[in-house]
Amino acid sequence: MASQRVFQLGLRRAVAPSFRIQPAGRMVQRRFAATENAAQSDGTQILAKQRLQRPVSPHLSIYRPQITWYGSALNRVTAVVLSGSLYIFGISYLVAPTLGWHLETQSMVAAVAAWPVAAKIAAKATLAFPFFYHSFNGIRHLAWDFGVGLGNKTVIRTGWTAVGFTVLSGLYYTFLV
Amino acid sequence: MLSTSITRSTPLAQQLRPSFMRSAVPKSARIAAFHATQRQQILPPLPQKIAGTLNEPTLVPDPAPAHGSYHWSFERIVAGGILPLTMAPFAAGSLNPVMDSVLCALLVVHSHIGFESCIIDYFPKQRVPVVRNVAMWALRIGTVTLGLALYSFETNDVGITEAVTRLWHA
Amino acid sequence: MACTRALARLASKRTGMAIRPAGFARGFASVSDTSAREPVSKIAEKIVPDPARTVVPESKTSTVKEPQPDKDSKIKTFHVYRWDPDQPSEKPRMQSYTLDLNKTGPMMLDALIRIKNEIDPTLTFRRSCREGICGSCAMNIDGVNTLACLCRIPAETNKESRIYPLPHMYIVKDLVPDMTLFYKQYRSVKPYLQRDTPAPDGREYRQSKAERKKLDGLYECILCACCSTSCPSYWWNQEEYLGPAVLLQSYRWIADSRDEKKAQRQDALNNSMSLYRCHTILNCSRTCPKGLNPALAIAEIKKSMAFT
Repeated sequence: MASQRVFQLGLRRAVAPSFRIQPAGRMVQRRFAATENAAQSDGTQILAKQRLQRPVSPHLSIYRPQITWYGSALNRVTAVVLSGSLYIFGISYLVAPTLGWHLETQSMVAAVAAWPVAAKIAAKATLAFPFFYHSFNGIRHLAWDFGVGLGNKTVIRTGWTAVGFTVLSGLYYTFLV
Repeated sequence: MLSTSITRSTPLAQQLRPSFMRSAVPKSARIAAFHATQRQQILPPLPQKIAGTLNEPTLVPDPAPAHGSYHWSFERIVAGGILPLTMAPFAAGSLNPVMDSVLCALLVVHSHIGFESCIIDYFPKQRVPVVRNVAMWALRIGTVTLGLALYSFETNDVGITEAVTRLWHA
Repeated sequence: MACTRALARLASKRTGMAIRPAGFARGFASVSDTSAREPVSKIAEKIVPDPARTVVPESKTSTVKEPQPDKDSKIKTFHVYRWDPDQPSEKPRMQSYTLDLNKTGPMMLDALIRIKNEIDPTLTFRRSCREGICGSCAMNIDGVNTLACLCRIPAETNKESRIYPLPHMYIVKDLVPDMTLFYKQYRSVKPYLQRDTPAPDGREYRQSKAERKKLDGLYECILCACCSTSCPSYWWNQEEYLGPAVLLQSYRWIADSRDEKKAQRQDALNNSMSLYRCHTILNCSRTCPKGLNPALAIAEIKKSMAFT
């Protein structure tokens, strides 16, 4: 653009030699925009102030559900369920004598035997499904730590296989054993 | 002078108090109110702050293999050890007392490492130092208690695999 | 509500100035100070707006329509994340645009460029090469991080597309995230050849074909940050965890046969945060628009460091 303009002006001058030479300032296009001078040091402060105002883009709520991260989250949740129940059992077993509870195997078996069938099945399901999922997924995790099975397709396939095995063994040990 | 004339009890009186006195609201309450909108979030982000310019690298921590590579390898060995010990009872019914105790010990370590990693993930040290410390110590106390409990269970009772088997068939 | 409050404030201010003697002005001013009447949380938000503030959904914003739809036009709706730094305390919002797919190029970037050119020039996003080699247009499209220039617009017009910036990043404007921390982390792994000994023949550092082959799948990374910002571990701990992209780059130099600072590079990662916040979630490999495998690179780093 600018070069074209200069070229045109030059042409005009060549064609009409009597054309009065304009002062250089007139040739330059001027824009009247409001600007402020800011030193380099001010810039960092302005930036720091702007940063404080920034929102964080949405993440958990918008990321597409995929077997990779849903499977991993489920792995952690099942781990917390299983280990949590182990911790709760352990601590109650230690305090049982002082509180007069009976958490010896025999008395627990007797207590559970008296439960209705639905309660037994519910208790079995809440332990069996997390246990099998965490176990099958744990095998995948150990394989990955050896650098095996990290291809995208393999990950998806083994992920759903683990889910499938979990459902099968969970159902079997909940209802049939 | 003004505070004596206006009682604090009524909300109207509170609104009538000049603004320079309103900072009497305890700081903790103000912070709590500030965080009220974020409570449903997992690990709410803080306002962005970046130390140094783009041309300076982030700080590289000192090497700590006990929390890094050794920790990782140990974790895998423990997890790898649990695997056959959880499969064996399905084939053989239950474990012998020695193997059962080994399984218990491994489970305690595995659970501890797992919970520890949850705490490290969700309670960053710089952001919630107090919560982090409390959680860590609670976990340590819990793990020691669990160890004692399982020791007493293994020595006085039938062992964990046998107990689960019996309970499952109850 | 706000309107009546403002009117009341105006009225009271005027009467205050006119009637009250100067001595009362201070106490009275605070009464008419409406911000003081708001709950403390509101005041705190005005000082520093909550970074986790929710996004206004598209159902509560306007829709900007395709300028001249034809009879046989294929109209598709795009919901785009908008946030303007000039109104810093406002919530981000989902702005809807409809486009005729017949007049739009095949890629998501074409749609964004068309929106900017023809419908809404205020829409801001980064783009440069339009062929997946610069990594500027990385964003979250329909829930997955990818490069807009490599992402086809789904042909089904009944499905609405959603375009967000890279997840869990601080937003400069609209679809532009602040990548400063990411680049600083990249700098911290010293992404350049480090050697003390000169080349044996005094000319160049030679590699065998097998050694060179180890760098395949590593050197192609364009640092678009799709993988890092798909990683939940990086979401929660990005101040300390380096993230898949930077770790892949670190491995690119660890695996390089010409580099002589392998041990130092490994030591730099050998702590609980920098590397070992990776829990093999594998979102990184799943989302990489260049088809690389950062998870494999991280696994190789962990293996190489297993007993050191």
